[in-house]
Formats: sequence, structure tokens, C-alpha cells
Amino acid sequence: MMNKKQCVAMLLAGGQGSRLGILTANMAKPAIPYGGKYRIIDFPLSNCTNSAVDVVGVLTQYQPLKLNAYIGSGSPWDLDLAHGGVYVLPPYVKGKSGEWYSGTANAIYQNLSFIEQFNTDYVLILSGDHIYKMDYNAMLQFHIDNNADCTIAVREVPWEEASRFGIMNTGEGNVIEEFEEKPAKPRSNKASMGVYIFTWDKLRKYLTEDAADPNSSNDFGKNIIPNMLNDKQRMFAYDFEGYWKDVGTIESLWEANMDLLQLPMPIDLYDKKWRIYGRNPGMAPHFVADGASVKNSLITEGCEVYGRVDHSVLFAGVIIKEGASVIDSVLMPGAVVERGAQVRRAIVAEGAVIGAGSMVGEETGNIAVVGQQVQLPAGSAVKAGEQRAE
Amino acid sequence: MKNVMGVIYTGEKDSFLRELTLLRAIAAMPVAGRYRVIDFLVSGMVNSGMRNVGVIMQKNYHSLMDHLGSGKEWDLHGKNDGLYILPPFLTRDNVGVYNGSLDALHSNMNYLRRSRQEYVLICNSLIVFNANFTGMFKKYQESGCDVMMMYTKDPDMRRPEYGTYFDLDEAGNIIDIEIDPTKPHYENTSMEVLLMRKDLLIDLVDRGAARGYHELVRDVLQRIARDEGLKMCGYEYKDLCFRLDSVQSYFKFNLDTLDTDVRHRLFPEDRPVYTKVRDELPARYMDDARVVNSMVADGCIIDGMVEHSVLFRGVKIDKGASVKNCIIMQDCHVEEDVQLENCILDKQAVIKHDGKLIGPSAYPIVISKNMVI
Repeated sequence: MMNKKQCVAMLLAGGQGSRLGILTANMAKPAIPYGGKYRIIDFPLSNCTNSAVDVVGVLTQYQPLKLNAYIGSGSPWDLDLAHGGVYVLPPYVKGKSGEWYSGTANAIYQNLSFIEQFNTDYVLILSGDHIYKMDYNAMLQFHIDNNADCTIAVREVPWEEASRFGIMNTGEGNVIEEFEEKPAKPRSNKASMGVYIFTWDKLRKYLTEDAADPNSSNDFGKNIIPNMLNDKQRMFAYDFEGYWKDVGTIESLWEANMDLLQLPMPIDLYDKKWRIYGRNPGMAPHFVADGASVKNSLITEGCEVYGRVDHSVLFAGVIIKEGASVIDSVLMPGAVVERGAQVRRAIVAEGAVIGAGSMVGEETGNIAVVGQQVQLPAGSAVKAGEQRAE
Repeated sequence: MKNVMGVIYTGEKDSFLRELTLLRAIAAMPVAGRYRVIDFLVSGMVNSGMRNVGVIMQKNYHSLMDHLGSGKEWDLHGKNDGLYILPPFLTRDNVGVYNGSLDALHSNMNYLRRSRQEYVLICNSLIVFNANFTGMFKKYQESGCDVMMMYTKDPDMRRPEYGTYFDLDEAGNIIDIEIDPTKPHYENTSMEVLLMRKDLLIDLVDRGAARGYHELVRDVLQRIARDEGLKMCGYEYKDLCFRLDSVQSYFKFNLDTLDTDVRHRLFPEDRPVYTKVRDELPARYMDDARVVNSMVADGCIIDGMVEHSVLFRGVKIDKGASVKNCIIMQDCHVEEDVQLENCILDKQAVIKHDGKLIGPSAYPIVISKNMVI
């Protein structure tokens, strides 16, 4: 038996994220680059380490290689521990059977024995879809103080958007009375953030029962939470205030990057008490040449700018050649914009090369995307909303 | 090169860097926007396949220890080998203050003996270069020489009254060594990198110490090795190198990295330079930022004018400020409407509103750490 851990985090990172189109063709959504030097998964992992949650199981399934390599030993997040740390948990063969994770609840169910070995009291369920800073330890304290069976983090969303979310109708003391998935006529604007804390004994019971039910879709939102509510378990909503952004679509991923260019920054990433950690590429500081122009942008190490960059986010090793211009765009690691090319309202994925004189994106309309490693020939045009995979 | 251990001696005389080395060893000097001098040496050793690196410390070694930590950034935190920090200590025959590299090696004989490598590469920390040592090791093994020393023909590395110079015969054997000559007679400037068998080094150090010597090259190699006919050869290093032995050379080196060719040769893709990571946000350019011909590290926030300068991590340049030909170290703050030209600002310096500091280009103004002006 390992040392006892009060709380074990399980991070659901196996979803395809199909709404991100070609960006997730070769990698799982949590591995998507964000904010000039992060990947989405840096946020839940850094939140864990900053909250003193030091066992994190990462459940992978879809295109896991990039994500596995990125997580590695967990050292960037101080999660390379002798007792605990980060564990990558793909589906595996058990005896003669063995199956893929059929749903979020099933993914946890298949790893019951992983959780058991930590002799834990509580389990924190996370997803790798959101940009936010949250103290899970404060939420755990709330859960303990309420003697709760389940606590669900919620945030107030604008009423007109409430019907897009899973909504919690709460009573006195934030007791959850009802859960409605995407209600047509919402009675509350408290939306679930997909962050749950369960008392482990209770969760194990419900997961086991759910696994025995052939009609279940093995999903937290559709099955586990409603079943617990039906049984009148002690369930509470935990109010979260602060920046929280879903980055599940091309447009929202672009917006979340552009949010960092606002003043003041809506999510404070300068906060030394709550650093967001990530794997560092180890390149020289970036260089801005004679004749270049850079404004309103975030630029990181390894970049070389000879052209114009305005209101954009440049990841490590991006090169903007003479006469090229990049406006309102996100350029992921290693992207190259050749001479005279123009990139506007676009996401250029890792290692893509925009040929000389090309036009990518337009001043208005949807975001244009150029996929990973795509070599766009000189003089190409990529329209607004277009996704170029080759 | 698993069979070669590295020893970096950081106890050199450093008074010629004035304020900059008051609080730190030269090895810990911040360079090129985010690095310390020692990063180049340790990374070069690791990239060459060496797995055991000892760093001998003498004075002001707090910032160096803090920087190197467990060696994790260089993947030198394994169970076998790895990074060894060797501070001075007091014993019966070790007074803790080294009068030279030989004293330092003699005090760390146990580390040398206990390491399982058969060869040792020794360097000091006054020279910045991104070396691949594999070529030197190969030549050492083929040539059958006892001691191999790296040199460069780069004329910018020569100094009056300072440095070590070699005379070589046609076969590359060292036939004369000159130390700190008023005017160097030979064009081969030592890079202060030595390679030899460990058992030979241990023997030489032992005997040198027994005779009361202090310096490895001046005393041991110049005297004992030559008296006994040890075969010493040179190995020419043909890539870029920079000697940091004055405020001017420190200033020039940093500004030289703004040259794209220099930068690409110093930071080749296949030999990255590793350093302690600060996990800062990318640099933020504001509305009124006007930056040209400059190197800018992460965490900077720029709203002013920056020209031909190097900004280290977390530097703030406020609106209306102008910075030209400057080296601005970590977490400095240049406030509104300040004008700086030809300055070196050490860490955390603050230049208040409206200040104006213009140095001559040949002799930059140095503002010490934590100064508020």
C-alpha cells in the first residue's frame, strides 16, 4: 500500500475534440497549444500542483502520443514524485477482455484499482478542455465542510447562454436539487464546469452500479450525477468566479488566445503565487530585426521577426520573414510565414509554412486554419473559415 | 563521451568585471537574454554525451548553486553520475580558499577518484562557447598524447598581459606555453579547456600539491609535465568564442548576439543551451512598443522604444522610454520617458521617471543590482 493521499485527481483527456477540426487530427485536445507557450493541459495540471493535489491520473485514449510525450515524467509541474505524481492511464487489456473507455464514467471505472492503491478519501474529476485558474483545495474544503457526497463546480453564465450548458438548480446552502442538461427554459444560470469532487466510497458504489447497467452511456453528466440525485445523495454546487474559457472550437480557441492581449489580461498569468507551468522548449530569447514592427502581441523564445506582427500570439520558434504581415492571428510552435505573405484572423498550426505572398484568412468572417506541418505553396489563398489540411 | 567527466572551475579572478561580479561568480553572469555563462559549458558537455559534471565553486557561489539546482534542466539529476556542486570546505589539509585551479582540484580529489570515468575535461568559466567536445575526445584518443588543450586562432581572444598562449609544432604538439605575456608571441590562444586521463591528472595534482604549487597550467603543466616529457598537444576550436574579462567585452558579447549569424552559430538547433526555467508568460508588446534589432526574453512588458539591445526576462519598458545599445538584466524597470544609451542594468534595477543615462559607446555605464535611480 502506498502512502495515503487525501485526494486523487483524474483528468479526462481522451476525447477527440472533433469541433477543433484539423487541429486535433493528430493530437488529443488537451495537447493543443495555447497562449504562446502553454498547452491546454498545463492549466489543470498547474492547478493541481498549486492546490497541493499531487496524484493525477491522466486518462488518454484518442491520439495520445503527443500528449504522453508532453507529460513525460511530470517534472515541469513538479509532479515527478516518488509517492504520487502524474500517471498516464490508457485503456488496457484485463484478462481475456479489454475495451476502450466507453464514456467518462467508464474511464474512471476501468481505473478503480489505480485509485484504490492511494487509499484515498476523495476523487477530483477534471477535464482538459478549459482555460482557468482554480484552487481545488478550497473546493475540497467546501466538500468536506458540507460532508458532501459530491460537489460540482459551477459558474454563472449569461442567462441567454444558459441553455447551452448543464445547469444546476440549487436551494439553500447551494444544495443541488436538480440537474438539467442544456435546458430549453433554464431556471438557473449556474453552469457545471465539469469539475467534480466525490467522496470515494460513494463514487465507487455508483460507478460499479453504472458499469452493471447495460443501458447506461457510462457518462458522469448523463448517468452518475442524475442517479446520485435520484437517490437524494448530499450534492452541492461550488461557486467559482473568475476567468473560465472553453476552448473546444476553432473560434473559442482563437478568442481565448486573443483574450490574453486585452488590458488588463482577463486571466492573470503573471500571478507568481499561481504560476502556470509548462514544458519549456529551451530556445534563445526571440529576436526582432531592423525594419520589423511588433505591437499588441505576445511573443516567446526562439521567434525571429523581420516583418510586421500586430495583435497576435506567437509560439516558440515562429519565423516571420521580411514584408510578411501577421494580424489577429495565432501562430503555433515552429510556424514560418515567408516573405510578403499575409496572415489575418487565422490559426497556423505547428510547423506549418505559409509560402511567400500567400493570403491566409480575411479581415472579417470565420477563422482560417492551416494544419500541422502543411507546406502552403507560394501565392496560395486560404479563405475565412477554411481549414487547410494539406 | 560517457567515459569523460567534466570539471568546471569557477574560482577565477573576477575583479575586472567590477560591480557585475560583486555579488556573483563569473560563471553565474547573466548573458544573452536568459542564460548564465555556465549554461554554455554544462550544456556543451551534456550535448557531447558527458554524464558527470562537477562544478568547483569558490566565492559568491550562492547564485550559482541556486541556478544549477539539482541539475535537472541539463538532465544531470540521475542516480549515477549527474551534477556535483563542489563548494570549498575546511579540513586538515584544505583551508577552503583556493589560490588556484590546482588547489581546487586537490581539494576535490575524492570526487575525482570516486567518479568512474577514465578521462577528465577541465575548463574554467571565463569563456563563452557552445562546444561539441566529441571531436576533441576522438583526436585525443587517436593522437596518443597525454594532455590535450583547446585553443583558438581568433584574434579577438588575445589580450595584453592576460591569457595563455601556445606555440605548436607542425604535428600539433605544444612546444611552448606563455602565461599572461605583456604581448602574446603566439597566435594560439588557450580556451582554458584541458583533456587528459584521470589517473594522470590525479598523479599530477598530487605531485604538484606536494611541491606547494597552486596553478595547474602555470605550475604543473609548464614545469612537471615538460620536465618529464609528457606529450602535450593542441586542439583547435574553430567556432565562435567570447572571452568575458572586462565590462567592455561583456557588453560587446551581449550585443554581438543580435547578429543573426552569431546567434544561429551560438544556438544551433542540434545543440540547445539549457538553463533554469522561470515559467513566464511570453513577452508582451503594447500599443506604443517600437522594438528593432533587439533580443527580448519572456516575461518582458514593452510599451517604449528599444533599439539594438538585449532585454532579459521580466523587464518592463514603459511608454515614452527609449533604450538604445543597452543590456537590461532580469526584472529591471525602465519607467516613463527615461532615456538610456550604452548602459548595463544589473538585475532588478529601476530607472525612475524622466531619468537620462547616456554612456560612451566604448565604456558603458553599469548600474548595480537593485539600484533605484
